[in-house]
Amino acid sequence: MKLARLLVPLAAALFLSTAVHAQDASPPPRNQTLIVENPQGTIPNADSFNLWLPGLRGVSTGLHQLGMDTFWYIDPDHGLDGVWDNSLAAEPPIYNEDFTEMTVKLRQGIYWSDGVEFTADDVVFTTETHLNTDGLLRSSSYQLNVESVEAPDPYTVVFHLKRPNSRFHALFTVRWNAAWIMPRHVFEGQDPLQFDFNPPVTLGAYKLHSYDPNGQWFTWEKREDWERTTIARFGEPGPQYVTYVDPGPPDRRVIAQMNHELDIIHDVSPEGMFTLAKDSPSSIAWFDGFPYAHPDPTLPALIFNHQLEKFKSADVRWALALAIDIKAVSMASYRGAATISAIQIPPTGTHPQYYHEPLTEWLTSFELDTGQQVIRPYDPTMGQQIADMLRPTMGDEIPTDPQQIAASFGMGWWKQDLEAAAQLLEKAGFTRRDGEWYMPNGERFSIRIMVEGDGRPVMTRAGTMVAQQWRQFGIDATAENAQAAFFPRRESGDFEVCISWSVETWGGHPDLSFFLDSWHSDFVAAPGEIQPPRNWQRWSSPELDAIIEQIREVPFDDPRGVELGQEFVKLTVREMPTIPLMSYNVFTVMDETYWTGYPTAADPYTNPVPNWANSRYMMVRLRPTQP
Amino acid sequence: MHGYGIYLLKRFAQFVLVVFIGISLTFFITHLTPIDPVDRMVAGMTTFGQSDPEAVEAMREALRALYGTGAPLLDQYFEYWGRMLVFDFGPSLSSFPTPVSQLIGRALPWTFGLLATCTLIAWVLGNLLGGLAGYYRNNLALKTFGVVAMGFHPIPHYIIAFLLLILFGYLWPILPISGGASQQVERGLNLPFVLSVLKHSVLPGLAIILISIGSWFMGMRALVSNIVTEDYVVYAELGGVSRRRIMRSYVMRNAIAPQVTGLAMSMSGFYNAAIIIEYVFSYPGLGRLLIAGVYAGDYGLVLGVTAISIVAVSAAVFLIDVLYPLFDPRVQLS
Repeated sequence: MKLARLLVPLAAALFLSTAVHAQDASPPPRNQTLIVENPQGTIPNADSFNLWLPGLRGVSTGLHQLGMDTFWYIDPDHGLDGVWDNSLAAEPPIYNEDFTEMTVKLRQGIYWSDGVEFTADDVVFTTETHLNTDGLLRSSSYQLNVESVEAPDPYTVVFHLKRPNSRFHALFTVRWNAAWIMPRHVFEGQDPLQFDFNPPVTLGAYKLHSYDPNGQWFTWEKREDWERTTIARFGEPGPQYVTYVDPGPPDRRVIAQMNHELDIIHDVSPEGMFTLAKDSPSSIAWFDGFPYAHPDPTLPALIFNHQLEKFKSADVRWALALAIDIKAVSMASYRGAATISAIQIPPTGTHPQYYHEPLTEWLTSFELDTGQQVIRPYDPTMGQQIADMLRPTMGDEIPTDPQQIAASFGMGWWKQDLEAAAQLLEKAGFTRRDGEWYMPNGERFSIRIMVEGDGRPVMTRAGTMVAQQWRQFGIDATAENAQAAFFPRRESGDFEVCISWSVETWGGHPDLSFFLDSWHSDFVAAPGEIQPPRNWQRWSSPELDAIIEQIREVPFDDPRGVELGQEFVKLTVREMPTIPLMSYNVFTVMDETYWTGYPTAADPYTNPVPNWANSRYMMVRLRPTQP
Repeated sequence: MHGYGIYLLKRFAQFVLVVFIGISLTFFITHLTPIDPVDRMVAGMTTFGQSDPEAVEAMREALRALYGTGAPLLDQYFEYWGRMLVFDFGPSLSSFPTPVSQLIGRALPWTFGLLATCTLIAWVLGNLLGGLAGYYRNNLALKTFGVVAMGFHPIPHYIIAFLLLILFGYLWPILPISGGASQQVERGLNLPFVLSVLKHSVLPGLAIILISIGSWFMGMRALVSNIVTEDYVVYAELGGVSRRRIMRSYVMRNAIAPQVTGLAMSMSGFYNAAIIIEYVFSYPGLGRLLIAGVYAGDYGLVLGVTAISIVAVSAAVFLIDVLYPLFDPRVQLS
């Protein structure tokens, strides 16, 4: 009896804590449900859907993919109808001549999930809420740029800016995420810093069906009025329900897909991918065969801390680049499934056609003076060599078509040339004694490469391999596992070399301002102070500043932007401020047991990586296999 | 009775001291690490596309003001204790403005239910079977169980969890490998949901039981093996007292006291194991919450979970200490 008195309240607490929250809690049928990994994992505060708040709350739960909407989307791949999509906006942004005013013409006939029409009032309300509230996720971006906002009619919004900004529209343009529009009729009268926005009123084609209050899964249901949403221009979304779930660690994701309980894995280890390719006939990936993975528009690189004396010379940085065997790094990191890039642009989306291919000739003829000889370090066949190296073990999985090889493994990279590397170090005043390098001040040349550890095993493996290669070259190099301290140390400049990315692009669009504007020397912090993103290398260059300032004055779609981007590439090849390695390849694996029509390299209509907001475009192409 | 009161007071003072030192240590460790939650948050938020350096700097300042993390460390420490006394752990920084106590309240029943149930099952089964094995030393089934228990005992709990995952999740997929309950049942006080909760707890529960039952079994068997050679047991056997009564009243009762002490001593170890097991099986308890807090640099959340764990484990030890004289009448309290 006493035991019962103890257990009954506990059981009640358990059930109270698990009581499902939803408008309609009936479980969705499996054959109508797309089950997707939420890489954010379990969401502690599952009840909060206010994604305008700061913090690492549930966003990839389907909330920003299926529930939210904003003016424009840029696809990191090729897009359903080109890379640029006018979503809530009816047309691209309209700037005045000096970029101090941006006008947005809104699409008509779009409705919130509760039946209220979306109008310019919602945009004005969203903007003014951010202008009047400190601490929202994007408050500072609005406050820095917007002087005032007005709606001359229900379908037109005019932003008056505080200063010229030719890229202001980027705030409302989805790459992975963007500034989402708030429903005025829901938020009005609420404190935006306290309101939980539950249930969320959506602009996307789905509405919340149910969710686990413990944050493990969230299910979205197709709106009955999906035709009154922006995605309807491309057809009816296939899945009636979409569940975003935390399936657990990588091994569990593999098991879950083999059991057909997880339709889309966001990412697994290369080994997990190879297991699925071998043992799960219904699993497919971006590439039909090796290297399988989708290359993200992000460029992992060896990032030097330019505020350290030892890395101030371009000769030293080039020597370190030439001491690397990229084939071994590719094998160590991705088991060969890497897409390499010799330049500071990820080899993904439409970038190869704007940068890698047009610059191949320049790269091939690029000369480097080592002080004792002039060399041409670029090897355009490096991607081919990696493919040839893998062919004996992977057989038919490795493509033979040169174009496919370039898309899969990358094009060229720098030849490992230890003799030229030694000459460059000597040119910079370094000396070698008994096979060990010493700096001009007489101290041993040592390098600590900071790696992230378990959080990013592929990059950790790459950093460890580079440390080994530099050590074999006579440098006292070690890989340093920083674990959770990686980010604060990277931002405060507490590292010598780290493996990370300071280059992130739109992927589908060639404009580089998304990351490059932050590389301006105006934003380089003093040693020890926090560096604003993304110039982690803290590199200052008057030549680079000049390029950035010109890009700021060029309209977003102006072809001159690509020319300036190519100038940036040439400058960084000469200076080697970081050593670019490869795109960040994501092993997204899709199971065709219940759904077909996923995006692949053969049909690259959008990014398959399901935590990107762009992945909403996938829904209109997916069709059930078991109706 | 007076002696018991003194004993109780001493134990309570010890409990309060352990909680005070534990929570203070946790506070200073989390606050003195190089991980600044605001910087961690800002780093995370730049992945949302925020790259304008001036905007990011302004956001950093706004967050410091919002979270109140700019105050001197000692002020924060005293304020924390002030709030702790009413179980207000403040807002979670990574899930702002949700209070930490709300997040803990949601996860605690899962961890408590799983851990308490499995620890008790392992303790009762291990001691019972260990006692029988020590008394009936020639029983083949008990001998076999001893060999199996000894085999499992040295295996790390994460390996056991992984083996169960492969065995029952992939090779013979009959049990769920993730979560606390199925999405396919309606949640609430109904039989399918209760059965689903039980089914989902089998693998994590089994992992906890398998790693702990062996030590209870072996400890009890060793204790009983010694006791059965005592004069009073031999005398009782010669005097014709039934074996069942000897076992229950003469042997087990004397052997159980050190095992109760052992239970108190090992509570924190079980909790540590539960954190890993919850992570492996995506079980929605405190372990997962703690890991999420660590990754997010959310020291409000980490402190809250750790404080609750310190209080819970210390309270369990205190409770066992308090009950100990009732198990063992030989304990003199005066």
